[in-house]
Amino acid sequence: MNKKIAVQVDDLTVAYNYKPVLWDIDLEIPEGVLMAIVGPNGAGKSTLIKSILGILKPIAGSVSVYGKPYKKQRHLVAYVPQKGSVDWDFPTTALDVVMMGTYGSLGWIKRPGQKEKKLALEALEKVGMLAFKNRQISQLSGGQQQRIFLARALVQNAAIYFMDEPFQGVDATTEIAIINILKELRKAGKTVIVVHHDLQTVPEYFDWVTFLNVKKIATGPVKDIFNDDNLTKTYGINYKVSIQE
Amino acid sequence: MNSAQLEIQIIASLVAIACAIPGTFLVLRKMAMISDAISHSILPGIVIGFFITQDLNSPFLILLAAITGIITVILVEHIQKTGLVKEDTAIGLVFPALFSIGVILIAKNANDIHLDVDAVLLGELAFAPFDRLIISGIDIGPKSMWIIGSILTITIGLLIAFFKELKVSTFDVGLSASLGFSPAIMHYSLMTISSITTVGAFDAVGAILVVALMIAPAATAYLLTTDLKKMLGLAIFFGVFSAISGYWIAHWLDASIAGSITTMLGLIFLMVYLFAPNKGIIAVFYREKQQRTEVSLLTFLLHLKNHNEESERHVNHLNEHINWQKVRSRSVLDLALKNNMITIKNNIVSLTKKGDDFTTQAIDYIITNENAQIEDMKEDFFLFRG
Repeated sequence: MNKKIAVQVDDLTVAYNYKPVLWDIDLEIPEGVLMAIVGPNGAGKSTLIKSILGILKPIAGSVSVYGKPYKKQRHLVAYVPQKGSVDWDFPTTALDVVMMGTYGSLGWIKRPGQKEKKLALEALEKVGMLAFKNRQISQLSGGQQQRIFLARALVQNAAIYFMDEPFQGVDATTEIAIINILKELRKAGKTVIVVHHDLQTVPEYFDWVTFLNVKKIATGPVKDIFNDDNLTKTYGINYKVSIQE
Repeated sequence: MNSAQLEIQIIASLVAIACAIPGTFLVLRKMAMISDAISHSILPGIVIGFFITQDLNSPFLILLAAITGIITVILVEHIQKTGLVKEDTAIGLVFPALFSIGVILIAKNANDIHLDVDAVLLGELAFAPFDRLIISGIDIGPKSMWIIGSILTITIGLLIAFFKELKVSTFDVGLSASLGFSPAIMHYSLMTISSITTVGAFDAVGAILVVALMIAPAATAYLLTTDLKKMLGLAIFFGVFSAISGYWIAHWLDASIAGSITTMLGLIFLMVYLFAPNKGIIAVFYREKQQRTEVSLLTFLLHLKNHNEESERHVNHLNEHINWQKVRSRSVLDLALKNNMITIKNNIVSLTKKGDDFTTQAIDYIITNENAQIEDMKEDFFLFRG
């Protein structure tokens, strides 16, 4: 397999108040994988994504996206933050939130027009939320809010998608709907990186996995490295997953 | 109405608009208290600026005072970042310190001039028309009108140019950063505009009313709309309305203009808080009552749908079965009858076709939360109005 590297992380160290939360991370994410980042609470999973996206400033190390710094490759990347990170009482509608995904390609000052609206409506349709386009966002259920966030990322038509716990607080139907869309993205050659909590579903949903606990424990194809040994190293307890092929 | 009266109202309205715009974003960013901090801590900036320029309306003074505002924000954030105290505590530490420096500076050095603590806190709109802007011998109106007018023009220009950036960075900091719209730049720009507006409005309306004009109209508008543009529009409307009506109240009562405008802002908020169609407490109270009845109605209809046996559908049995109080069951029964959803024969209750359809639709909606199925039920039932 001689794949292009979508995201390359070298010697990344991030600290909050001089306490390292990520320590010397080296990571290569090949193009076209659907990758889970797993690890216990406080392992730095969200921090890793945020540092790759330049939202947090690392104290050491570097990140490149398709060989160039992230700042030059923004147009290739879409980001879905944790649902809880925004105020859902904000006075706006589902359609408007999805439109925000087009802001990046518009750049400063230029405003979204008919073209952007059409893209947003298509994305809403893809996640099955077209009927809710004019709903105020606080009037949506948790799963619907997550779909709106996904639609907002789809509208960016990126090459790489970063998602921070997209399955948090959603029901089974929405979870299946979301994972199907993620699998479609992979089929279309996109790279999808997901912070994930439910270890049981890793082999079913993902083909690539990174174990993280402040340091990188392991990264690679799920079928090769998703085993009790790595889980034990990551979670610190003698971990037994009974996942059979 | 003479020209001085007209000018006062124009100035008050311009101040109201200039405050409502940054105020709306401060409210949405949950930073209302920072405007309080800015309005107080710019005092030393104004005093020092006044010593240097000897002119309260000098642009240099406004700039200097605005910088003090930014310093306040930076100090608050710095203290907060140490993790030793929370943001509200940091605000409470910073602004009284800066404000008191201003108070001491005034008391020590500026006792005999127009700058005194009363004027700083409450402003004196009534005097605004006396200070004229004269260019090559021609009087073109009060200075403060031109100052706040210029600030407002800049604010509106920036708002139109950067509306989408302001919106996305207010709603979702993470997305905004990942798209390349630096939240820090947006944050400090908003703080700068808030500081400049505060200084510009300060002389006319004082430190306390500036805060009221920034926060109250935006908070009132927030209760009435779910659209950011409408919220801005409503905030501006409430600000201007309070400014003009407050002026006339002060006129009739022979009282402080600033005080009357603030009172109007408070009254309007109270009215909207009580009577707003969706978020007002009366509407909420009424809706909750209505929803309780409708949930009972649905429980009742569902029970009828699930049971064919007559014993299960006898009026007396229904009373016991669904654990209603007598009064409540009566009103639910009446509601169902009135809507032709049930028929009662020999004390046995049966669902009509309409009642049966309604129950199916309602349960469908509650399970799927999808709008299309209940469009026609929205008029009659609170439960389905989102």
